[in-house]
Amino acid sequence: MARTYRVVLRNRDHACLEVGEEETILAGAEARGFRLPVGCRYGGCITCAAKLIDGKVVQPKGTALKRRQVKAGYILLCVARPRQDCTLEVGVESHDALFVNPFAVRGE
Amino acid sequence: MSSSPAPAPADACPGPGYASPQEAIRAPREKVVYTICLYEGTGVEEPDYLATIDVDPESPTFSQVIARTEMPIIGDELHHMGWNACSSCHGDGSMARRYLIIPGVRTTNFYIVDTATDPRRPTLYKTIDGEEIKRKTNLSAPHTVHCLGSDIIVSMLGDAEGNAPGGFLHLNRDFEIVGRWENDISGMRYNYDFWYQPRHNMMVSSEWAAPNTFLPGFDLEDVGKGKYGQRLHFWDFAGKRIERTIDLGEEGLIPLETRFHHDPDSTHGFVGAALSSNIFHWYKDAAGEVQVEKVIDVPSIEVESFPVPMPGLITDILLSMDDRFLYFSNWLHGDLRQYDISDPSHPVLTGQVWIGGLLGKAPEVNGHRIAGAPQMIQLSLDGKRLYVTTSLFSTWDNQFYPEMKGAGGAMVRVDCDAENGGMTLDPDFFIDFGKEPKGPTRAHETRYPGGDCSSDIWV
Repeated sequence: MARTYRVVLRNRDHACLEVGEEETILAGAEARGFRLPVGCRYGGCITCAAKLIDGKVVQPKGTALKRRQVKAGYILLCVARPRQDCTLEVGVESHDALFVNPFAVRGE
Repeated sequence: MSSSPAPAPADACPGPGYASPQEAIRAPREKVVYTICLYEGTGVEEPDYLATIDVDPESPTFSQVIARTEMPIIGDELHHMGWNACSSCHGDGSMARRYLIIPGVRTTNFYIVDTATDPRRPTLYKTIDGEEIKRKTNLSAPHTVHCLGSDIIVSMLGDAEGNAPGGFLHLNRDFEIVGRWENDISGMRYNYDFWYQPRHNMMVSSEWAAPNTFLPGFDLEDVGKGKYGQRLHFWDFAGKRIERTIDLGEEGLIPLETRFHHDPDSTHGFVGAALSSNIFHWYKDAAGEVQVEKVIDVPSIEVESFPVPMPGLITDILLSMDDRFLYFSNWLHGDLRQYDISDPSHPVLTGQVWIGGLLGKAPEVNGHRIAGAPQMIQLSLDGKRLYVTTSLFSTWDNQFYPEMKGAGGAMVRVDCDAENGGMTLDPDFFIDFGKEPKGPTRAHETRYPGGDCSSDIWV
């Protein structure tokens, strides 16, 4: 039997989801009736980005997140599967550090 | 210019559209227009929709959104759209300009919307599942939709996993998946827009990037790695294969919208290289060889505190139906320009207006603050009214104009002098998409029910 983990959506009234280890966090959230940002559903477009505050997930190699975005704590909920209990900040309000104007910043 | 036929009586040719560009110019004035509204990256988790906008000054609901045709799910990112039929099947009485084909870039879902039963209240007629398209054709990320006689072809920017180069999807008149349109994709690195000119057996396609590159946003590092396009592909249209590829070089980075002359006998056309912010002109010379030349150069501007000079970013261009004026938007600088292209090798600037933009030249238009800049543009058939929206693409909007997600997009109307050149902002028209009932939306492409300056092709 597959393990399940507790995934807390900190900025959704600390809602607690039970997400199976083979299930994406997005699927777990949608099954509970949450409507979170989503686009491609294959890890290619970062619309569903969320901040991992605590815990651990696995994602396929080569998602659309840049190194800078991964360092800032972002994961892609459409492909991320839990490996520990997790706490997340979700939705566009978690995207404060996701986007930069490339002409306004020095290269990294 | 070819000799134009006299206006045909209404019943002479029962098919859709017009016998010629000259006849299209004389079409009745538009009363409504259709505009893509989208919620991706705004924080409002609602489906995208097609807005019907009243543009008839005599109407009591002038300058308002009068209908919203909502899609079934969230997350599609509706972007560009095209008709099931245009002037390319003017001679076919079994066809009618009835359905808008509206794909979602992020999901590959296609929505077929019936605009004919009630043009003021379009309805969803059919959905093509994006997963089915990916499975049957190994294509994703739809962009430009052109009808082709009674069939439909769509440029697709990636394979099913979002990698380049994509290809072309072929749908039949009943919106069934026929398969891939092209016979051979050899030579194409990336895909984006296309336009065809059948009397010369020509088709031109341009290059953005792989969906996995552009969907998450714009990164200069990706440009350095060669992950963005800089080539134009000239196709053997009947043979459905690339005949010649021209590398535009550093001056031609990210060639986007391709526009042939509307005159079906002309081989001339233009493309805007977005990142390099140059306009290129192509044509076939007397020997039948394709020639490409840079004809307009928009210099980058040093912005205080920005380490990298900022390009204009030419994101949309179009030609008036009489092929006399070229219009384009500089989405980062914030200006919209009109050039006289009577001599296509030597365009002359004849008009310029400022709308929003990062240079801060026009933060307000008609008393409304603009969070964004001129982006998609669509010109009336008579060349006098240009409808302008402000959103480029949700992830790119969030990089360059992050305030748009809370303030919403806008539509303005620019009055164009089709005789002497010149443009002025219309003070009586403004759509504030920040006030939409379910929350602020971005606004993207616009189409006119009777055809417009990027919808119709003459065979």
